[in-house]
Amino acid sequence: MSTSSIIIIIINIVIAVILAVGLTPLFVWWERRISAFMQDRSGPNRCHIGPFRLGGVIQSFADMLKLIFKEDFTPSHIKYKFLFTISPVIVFICSFLTFAAIPFADVLVIDGKENIMQAIPTQLGIMWFLAFAGLSVYGIILGGYSSGSKYGLLGSIRASAQVISYEAAMGLSIISMLISYGSIHLTDIVNAQAGTYLEVVPMWGIFIQPLAAIIFIICAFAETNRAPFDLAEGESELVAGYHTEYSAMKFGLFQVGEYGAMSASSAIIVTLFFGGYQVPWLDTQAIQSNINYVILAIIIILPIKVYFLTSWMKKNNKAIGSDKSREKETKILTSSFWFLAITITILLISFLVFGLGTNGVNIATAIIQIGTFLIKFFMMAFVYIWVRWTVLRFRYDQLQMLGWKVLIPLALLNIMITAIFVVVRGS
Amino acid sequence: MGIQVVPRYGKSFKDKLYLPAIAGGMKTTLKHFIHNLKDNNNLRTMQYPEVQPTDLNERYRGVHRLTKHEDGSEKCVACFMCATACPADCIFIEAVERFDEYAEKRPKEFKIDLLECVFCRYCVEACPCDAIRMDTGIFSFVASSREDFVLDKKALMTNERSKDLNNG
Repeated sequence: MSTSSIIIIIINIVIAVILAVGLTPLFVWWERRISAFMQDRSGPNRCHIGPFRLGGVIQSFADMLKLIFKEDFTPSHIKYKFLFTISPVIVFICSFLTFAAIPFADVLVIDGKENIMQAIPTQLGIMWFLAFAGLSVYGIILGGYSSGSKYGLLGSIRASAQVISYEAAMGLSIISMLISYGSIHLTDIVNAQAGTYLEVVPMWGIFIQPLAAIIFIICAFAETNRAPFDLAEGESELVAGYHTEYSAMKFGLFQVGEYGAMSASSAIIVTLFFGGYQVPWLDTQAIQSNINYVILAIIIILPIKVYFLTSWMKKNNKAIGSDKSREKETKILTSSFWFLAITITILLISFLVFGLGTNGVNIATAIIQIGTFLIKFFMMAFVYIWVRWTVLRFRYDQLQMLGWKVLIPLALLNIMITAIFVVVRGS
Repeated sequence: MGIQVVPRYGKSFKDKLYLPAIAGGMKTTLKHFIHNLKDNNNLRTMQYPEVQPTDLNERYRGVHRLTKHEDGSEKCVACFMCATACPADCIFIEAVERFDEYAEKRPKEFKIDLLECVFCRYCVEACPCDAIRMDTGIFSFVASSREDFVLDKKALMTNERSKDLNNG
């Protein structure tokens, strides 16, 4: 194994860890501020280090610190201490490992050697995702069971019943995707979504299989135990459901696991249905052969974006009264954003002037694709939060009704249609 | 009287699909989100310590005050009506004889324990001489010890009618 492939593997693992676990404070912040803005509230924006409020993101770090330093309390009535301790770990590890099979970019060729851009370079792809996404519910079941409280047990029973009914529909909708793509390896699936129909619509999964996309997205929401499918938590009737008895960082791990599952689900939805790392209308070969134009486009777009960001900040980051720290923060952030933008632009211009080697072109393509993946990933995460703060929680019988009587027959129908289509077309 | 027919929703195919309704709801929330993201002055939240509420009205029950005669002496005649009416037993009055033209008694000491007070305004209703009022508009009363929450006569008489209310 050469040095370059070791470095690439390390980078991939770091990206996966950051996206799966490290983004939790950011997503908590999003959750709070986006929900607040949707309800015409302000949300937490006071917490600060020096003049830096960063729009309130400091608050979620403060909360994280609080959870770490809180007493790790185990109620005395708990008989199965081992299960009680291990269950948040299971949720955490599973949601983290789910991310390992997501490709961040196309196969990266360095000195003629191919590197799969995944945290774990496995060909299992979708199977890996299904395995670990299904496993993470064991943490919830064990946690609720070993809590020794009725609320916890009810929450975990609901979670297990929900996962059984929705995993089936999810698997069936994936089968129709696999029929049309012909591979379980996620890089192959994303590469199959490269082209366009009639030079207009990108060949994404959602346009090939709209029904499967809807079913899969609904089931993925149910799989992550988030609203409208968060009956396992159900704070209106079950206190806090499966994590009623948990406190401190054990509860924090459940929280991180929930957001990790959300990240993993949005990543797999993006990969399967929204073209993954593919830039719309530009496949890998097109980027590699026109790399100069792509760099030029970035050089033009980047300052415009930074201009809009900084002017938006200047307009909205204001304090009432004599406090000058908001202006100070705006000034510091604006200058650092411009510094960053100018540095990147100079770097890109030097690339344009001196030219990139074959490896350089490949790496630049990979970075652009990772950026595309990240943009799509964050948009999908936004959709998760958006749906949570719009749609009401299902009643339990309606949830099961939707799963068994609607989604599974639809998924079966979709498999039939796909299979007939594939057989008739012969491809 | 005619019969009012209430239309039942949820039976048509479009309603049973759920997705159009969900899309409508998501459109509404996104509209609010973008509206507030563009300019956060649109938010309804009041940035409290910097911005103080201005919508106090005559019925608002703030911290108590003792009203005064023209010459600055207290109107209170120490009749103990307020202390009797108080459901929280938080008013402590000590009466002495009074030697001016207003009344025969006056309070030597008049204490209100704000930690026990439930701000029910019964004392104001009970007072026959309009001597105690709750129109100071003080809604956040902070202190660093339990003793500081007990307002004595001097403190109660320095409290004035809120400037936000129309003075008259």
